[in-house]
Amino acid sequence: MLSAHLGTIVGSEHVSIAKEAIAVAPADAAQAAAVLRFANDNGLPVSPVGGATKKGWGNPVSSKITLHTHRMNALLEHTWQDMTCTVQAGCPWSSMQAALARHGQFVALDPLWPDHATVGGVMATNDSGTLRLKYGGLRDLIIGMTVVLADGTIARTGGKVVKNVAGYDLHKLMIGAFGTLGLTTEITFRLHSLPVSSQSFTLLSQTVEPLGDLLLQLIDSHLSAQSIQLRIVGDSFGLDIQLGALPEVLKEQSSLLLEMAKKAKLSVEEASNEVWNSRHLLFADANGFTIKATMLPSDIARFTSMAHGFGGTAVTQATGIMTAFLPEGREEAILQLRREFTGSGGSLVILQQPANGSVDLLDPPSNSFPLMQKIKQQFDPNRILNPGVFLGGI
Amino acid sequence: MLSSVILAELTSAVGADGIIVGQNQLHTYECDGLAALRTIPAAVVLPRSTAEVQTVVKICARHRIPFVARGAGTGLSGGALPAAGGIVISFSRMTRILDVDIPNQRITVEPGVINNHVTQRVSPHGYFYAPDPSSQTVCTIGGNVAENSGGAHCLKYGFTTTHVLGLEVVLPTGELVSFGASTLDAPGYDLAGVFVGSEGTLGVATSVTLRIAKKPETVQVLLAAFDSIAAAGQTVSDIIAAAILPAAMEIMDRLSIRAAEASVHPNYPDAEALLLVEVDGSAIEVETQMQQVRSLCKTNGAWEDRLAQSERERMLVWKGRKAAFAAAGRIAPNYIVQDGVIPRTKLPVILEEIGRMAEEAGLLVSNVFHAGDGNLHPIVLYNASIPGQEEIAVDLSMRILHRCVDHGGSITGEHGVGKEKQQAMGYMYSEPDLDTMQRVRCAFDPQQIANPDKLFPRPRLCGEKTGPYQLHPLEREGTAEYF
Ligand SMILES: Cc1cc2nc3c(=O)[nH]c(=O)nc-3n(C[C@H](O)[C@H](O)[C@H](O)COP(=O)(O)OP(=O)(O)OC[C@H]3O[C@@H](n4cnc5c(N)ncnc54)[C@H](O)[C@@H]3O)c2cc1C
Repeated sequence: MLSAHLGTIVGSEHVSIAKEAIAVAPADAAQAAAVLRFANDNGLPVSPVGGATKKGWGNPVSSKITLHTHRMNALLEHTWQDMTCTVQAGCPWSSMQAALARHGQFVALDPLWPDHATVGGVMATNDSGTLRLKYGGLRDLIIGMTVVLADGTIARTGGKVVKNVAGYDLHKLMIGAFGTLGLTTEITFRLHSLPVSSQSFTLLSQTVEPLGDLLLQLIDSHLSAQSIQLRIVGDSFGLDIQLGALPEVLKEQSSLLLEMAKKAKLSVEEASNEVWNSRHLLFADANGFTIKATMLPSDIARFTSMAHGFGGTAVTQATGIMTAFLPEGREEAILQLRREFTGSGGSLVILQQPANGSVDLLDPPSNSFPLMQKIKQQFDPNRILNPGVFLGGI
Repeated sequence: MLSSVILAELTSAVGADGIIVGQNQLHTYECDGLAALRTIPAAVVLPRSTAEVQTVVKICARHRIPFVARGAGTGLSGGALPAAGGIVISFSRMTRILDVDIPNQRITVEPGVINNHVTQRVSPHGYFYAPDPSSQTVCTIGGNVAENSGGAHCLKYGFTTTHVLGLEVVLPTGELVSFGASTLDAPGYDLAGVFVGSEGTLGVATSVTLRIAKKPETVQVLLAAFDSIAAAGQTVSDIIAAAILPAAMEIMDRLSIRAAEASVHPNYPDAEALLLVEVDGSAIEVETQMQQVRSLCKTNGAWEDRLAQSERERMLVWKGRKAAFAAAGRIAPNYIVQDGVIPRTKLPVILEEIGRMAEEAGLLVSNVFHAGDGNLHPIVLYNASIPGQEEIAVDLSMRILHRCVDHGGSITGEHGVGKEKQQAMGYMYSEPDLDTMQRVRCAFDPQQIANPDKLFPRPRLCGEKTGPYQLHPLEREGTAEYF
């Protein structure tokens, strides 16, 4: 019955019955709105699904309906002269980038699993990679959105121009909200030109301190590094640096970098582009814990060595965002790390933990948590959108 | 009028020297930079600390008294305009710099700190605070946060929202909370993101952690003179198409050039249009890019280009641009500064339309704009002593904004909606869009006492049922239908 009704909304060929939930794939925002309104009226929990690359993130949710965005996968417009584009949420990240590259442009962000992850999923989990150092995160790159709320209201926020202060920046609320406030169906990005040329280096060291010091020197320097990350490499540490600039400039900057390294008595090697994918490896083992932790740049070396001491592997961006893996059975270590991060003005959130894992995603919640609950209440009073998936059980 | 009980409560919150109730003194607070709108508040309080702010807001919440925060009062859309019978919370005594952390490129300040003082404080370390509204020598960080202010250099460096990492906020209920943090991606919803630009309607910031940026190694400004605005505009598009991201790109038209010349004598060439391009970065980078910029200017018919290289020359070039609003007073007794945004490529079209509309209205409009990001500041010149002319000017300025929306743009790029552009919000957004924003407001301020009757085109209550389901324009257009 349920599936028959959903079939009248999206077409029966776009409804399928899986074990626990009915999967529906709306063609557009209007169909998605009709699905959500129906679910809302009947108290049926709905989980939006993009590329399903981060299915295990957040608390488990038992939904009655999974709403798949793959039919909404078009790049709707690329006004390259204005350096903006509008894309549907179900578009795979790499497809979007490939289309934008035809005009030498891109959304300046390097998320996980770009071939499968959708634009909407990357947005809802606020994923970002090392390019954040130069270009900022999604909150700096997204300028507008179309969102379908739980009651079927379709709302637009922001616009298609890079500069706009009319009304609240609602799209910022949607970024990283894990779909708990609404289903985003379209996103407008500001774009950047693809870097003309770039070059990557790795500096290796047995101890972390000299790399931490160099990292701070680099962000305080005039070098135009677009990516910097500190990695645990077996029993030692590596600092990866990517310079991106005009060819003439690149040469000068590379030699400046080599000089800095020499002064610090660190050996430098040219790095392959592969090093920028090392974050992916931290998700490979579903029996362990993958965490996202935040810290000040000056704490990166200290916390990297601490994670190492607990038997973890970690990649930390120079912006102070660490992704780390700790093997199973390390609950105590995670709690201790969490105390350390929180005590230094940062945070530790569990992205992925074993099926029987029992660590709270986040603890303690910030003093603005009651306000977050009120926002959820305003947007989704019947709690049908991904209920409980979010921090603090929102 | 506030009852004596409430006045006593407020006085005990901020001390006798921290409250103003005398009519003469209250006049100072009756308006902001949008002087056409005035309301005398019931009282002004001048708290010294977060704790005092919190006590004041709690009093307001208990008695349902509307309040508005006030920085320097330079806002151009009536954001700091008091509500009748309301209280003004002035931040003129909360001007401390609380923490400077150079290695992590952060600074924490009280909201009354003047924008320029942030840069001055970190400058000896080779850093600066990037958002640079033309009013930066007087406007406050609290006002900048509320308006999500921009400036010429935001083309490359981003607007205020990019630079605000964390905030301490007294909610309209009186609770003290923190949004964001000095680290990135504070867990949970991005409340700092939604607070910045909320124009004082979601609470009062009492401390702000900002990101500071490394001063570029080299900076050069080019001033190029053109025979038409269209040619200057085309040059901007060409620069962007060449994958150059200058720190700033500004255009001034003949009227505004003359006004600037008369007021601060920047020694500008007498041209139809001037284009200012600032490029920064490493020495070779700037050298290479500036060469490209100059050749693009030439291609588009620039008949003069001057390169300002010393700090002094640069300052002079910028002085004329930054004085553009005030200078309008040199050519007309009254003027309205507008703040529309259009996709950059629509520049030639909208300028032609503005010209035509101005002519039809029988008024002059001068134009200065942040050309790189399509943010226009048409300045509608008029004489208020001529009966009826003010109405014509207001009407013209609003119609210009409507055209910006028609071209896919916005009614405001940096000055905010405030009281001035409430109605235009209804032109830019549909009812469901506005209702969705209202949900946020209700979560923060169920009593709607924080800067009420601003931003939205009509009053909305919290818990107000929006009536039968409303069609979104998407649906009305027939793009889709419901079942
Ligand atoms: C000559 C001139 C040039 C200008 N140029 C620019 C420009 O280039 N770019 C630009 O963006 N703007 C510009 N402006 C507009 C104005 O300067 C900015 O909007 C500025 O940010 C306002 O700061 P203020 O301290 O004067 O705030 P106010 O005018 O006092 O207040 C503005 C808003 O902020 C709210 N507010 C103030 N403090 C707080 C707080 N602590 N917590 C919460 N809300 C608060 C107020 O309630 C009000 O809604 C210009 C204005 C003038 C007069």
